[in-house]
Amino acid sequence: MRKTPLIIFAVIAVMGVLFLARDRTSREEKPEDAPVRMAYLQNDIHHLALWVALEKGYFQEEGVEVEISGIFRAGPELMNAFTAGVLDMAYVGEAPSTFAVANKTADVTVVAQVNTEGSALVVARASSGIKAVSDLEGKTVGVPGHATVQDFLLRKALFNAGVDSSRVNILIIKPPEMIGALRTDQIDAFIAWEPYPSKAAVAEVGRNLASSKDIWPDHPCCVLVSDSKFMESKPGKVDKVVRAHVRATEFIRGNKEEAVRIGVKYTGMDEPTVRRALQFVEYTYVPSVDGEGEYVRFLSELGYIKVDDIDAFVSDFINEDFLNEIEAR
Amino acid sequence: MALSLKLSGLTKIFPGNGTMEEVRVIDPLDCHIEQGQFFSIVGPSGCGKTTLLRIIAGLEPASEGTILLNGEAVANNDNRVGLVFQEFALFPWRTTVQNIEMGLEILGVPKTERRQEALKYVREFGLTGFEDTYPRMLSGGMKQRVAIARTLVANPEVLLMDEPFGFLDSQSRMEMQNFLLEVWEKRQTTVVFVTHSVSEAIYLGDRVMVMSNRPSSIMDIFDIDIPRPRERSHPRLSKLREEVFQLCARL
Amino acid sequence: MRGKRLIPPLVLVGVWQVVCSVGLVPAFKLPSPFQVLTGLAELMTVGLPPGHLLHTHALYSLERVFFGYTAAVLTAIPLGIGMGWSRRVRYLLEPLVEIFRPIPPLAWIPIAILWFGIGTKSAAFIIFLGAFFPILLNTASGVLGIDPILVEAILTMNANRRDIILKVLVPGAIPSIITGMRIGLGLGWMTLVAAEFSGVKQGYGLGYMIMTARDIQRPDEVLAGMIVIGVTGLVIDGMLRLVEKSLIRWR
Repeated sequence: MRKTPLIIFAVIAVMGVLFLARDRTSREEKPEDAPVRMAYLQNDIHHLALWVALEKGYFQEEGVEVEISGIFRAGPELMNAFTAGVLDMAYVGEAPSTFAVANKTADVTVVAQVNTEGSALVVARASSGIKAVSDLEGKTVGVPGHATVQDFLLRKALFNAGVDSSRVNILIIKPPEMIGALRTDQIDAFIAWEPYPSKAAVAEVGRNLASSKDIWPDHPCCVLVSDSKFMESKPGKVDKVVRAHVRATEFIRGNKEEAVRIGVKYTGMDEPTVRRALQFVEYTYVPSVDGEGEYVRFLSELGYIKVDDIDAFVSDFINEDFLNEIEAR
Repeated sequence: MALSLKLSGLTKIFPGNGTMEEVRVIDPLDCHIEQGQFFSIVGPSGCGKTTLLRIIAGLEPASEGTILLNGEAVANNDNRVGLVFQEFALFPWRTTVQNIEMGLEILGVPKTERRQEALKYVREFGLTGFEDTYPRMLSGGMKQRVAIARTLVANPEVLLMDEPFGFLDSQSRMEMQNFLLEVWEKRQTTVVFVTHSVSEAIYLGDRVMVMSNRPSSIMDIFDIDIPRPRERSHPRLSKLREEVFQLCARL
Repeated sequence: MRGKRLIPPLVLVGVWQVVCSVGLVPAFKLPSPFQVLTGLAELMTVGLPPGHLLHTHALYSLERVFFGYTAAVLTAIPLGIGMGWSRRVRYLLEPLVEIFRPIPPLAWIPIAILWFGIGTKSAAFIIFLGAFFPILLNTASGVLGIDPILVEAILTMNANRRDIILKVLVPGAIPSIITGMRIGLGLGWMTLVAAEFSGVKQGYGLGYMIMTARDIQRPDEVLAGMIVIGVTGLVIDGMLRLVEKSLIRWR
């Protein structure tokens, strides 16, 4: 008699778990012409190529339909969408995607680079005290997240300047809040991706102490990734998306004015900021394999991930086949 | 004997609140109660006997008239007057002793002294063993004993009682009536006892005041000149009961 | 007897482990209980971010809750007593309370950061907001729920306003106050974690730890952190329950 409630409870528990965990990625059943589900990061000027491709209709021209399934505020959240099986491809930071793959929470492959560089170390305009990176000792610096590329850049910069990074108070703060924090002296400096450094400059709140070019030239930043299973089952679609991406990237390089206009449209930021930001971002589709290797090494050393064979990891992670095919044409 | 409590020209008007007209509860009432007397008050429900008590206790202001206790006007929250409620009104979070000593606490009497006083009452009132018990564990009769002790501990000159035994069963009621008489006889405090039981009023009181319906006034005051201790079956008691009943029947 | 209460959680964990072992749910979506335990061990020994150990995170979080909660208790209880006791106070304050109450504490985060900066003060402020309203409203209702006759009883003992508040209102309202405090503590603790998501200067905090685990895609550590938060909440509520038990023996 008394066991009945217990059994009912157990049954409900199991049913609940099964319901919640059901695999929504029934890709095999999807119709052939289902659009490619893509995502990007909100206000991230690095993802300009995607917006250009959308505006100029490159995807249609290449013969593939694309739908924007999500616009995320941060990389980790975007990667969670891959885990949940609701994305096929995305523009995302190399850091969160590396983490996801290293910790096996998502299985994605990099099929093209989106940009390199495009970050800067910013200090308060008014603070005359900080003239060089070495002056950051004992100060508080904001980074967008643990073990992000920006975090790495900062540590590299400190290392290059001979400053022990444990003597700098590194604080995690989201980029939208960095400018306010700098203005109210909560932090002495921050490092973030464009357009935030430009925004700080245009608002006359901050000035660049060092741009990422000075610290780590050609460092990888954002990448175009594809869910690995999607890549294997629908290589044709991935190929078309990459082509559109390549065209868009080249367009940006040759058409600054229109690039600015599209950037303003999709980020909602003012023109001077976008214009200035574009100067610091290097739009390229060639993956930075060495850069990724260095980055993975950095993460392993700090203990954030455990990768035994770094080279094998990187070569699994980055797939240049699609680009090579395009090049061969 | 010195006059104890003198009520003169007392009236109480409850103002109308828009839909209801004003209610006159006590129409000029004069009476005097002598020192040490047990004064019962009976009357129909709603006639204002409780209101009268509350006015004397200082919980409500009179609309007109004065109350003098030994020549001095009775103020709000006057210490010389104590009130025992029908619903006991014990503080549920306090033990028996803590309830009893409340009055002394407010007067600022130091802890040991007031505890000693309280314990005296515990012994006298047959509450030994229940010093640290909370009210919810006490019977009705015990609760009322605690309430009476609480009121007496500050040595008031007048003890007002508002149907104090109304919530007790008839057995406990009779016990408490006798208990009250013992306590009263020992202390000779003036007692004003409101009840709607005519038998109770007559059994206990030296004098019984009968009040009329609203706007209430004094219909009559009876002297109960039966010597104490009284037997409940005393013929004079029955006769007096009859007289009072007849008076009430005329209401 | 108490063993029976452990059964549902154990069953849940058992089902969870089975579901994972059998592979019904892929490991990256739902870490198994075993993985969560190893994640927990890592949080305690290696720490996340590496070098920041679990117990230090917990201490920082507790400290923030302590400040915010204490501030809430010290302001909400007196205000609540005022609101419960005085109709005028209630009338004046109710609109303000009803406007601010529905605003989720988390919505205050940007303002809190502007006013107090990134650090303990702004986190404590958010927690204060979470805990304040339940304590305020429960205190007020506790005072309102006191039988008015108890106030009258103490009035007849020559009590002044301070006596009424300290000897009747507060003790009488304590059961409700404690209920409000428990609810406030629970809400405050929950709010803390989310408040810490927006950045903490010292680099320590349970919410901060979970956010980091999420950023580096370690769901096992996220779950481990969540369990720590839940258990800690349970323990601090348990402590408050003990206080409650000793204070309301009279019920």
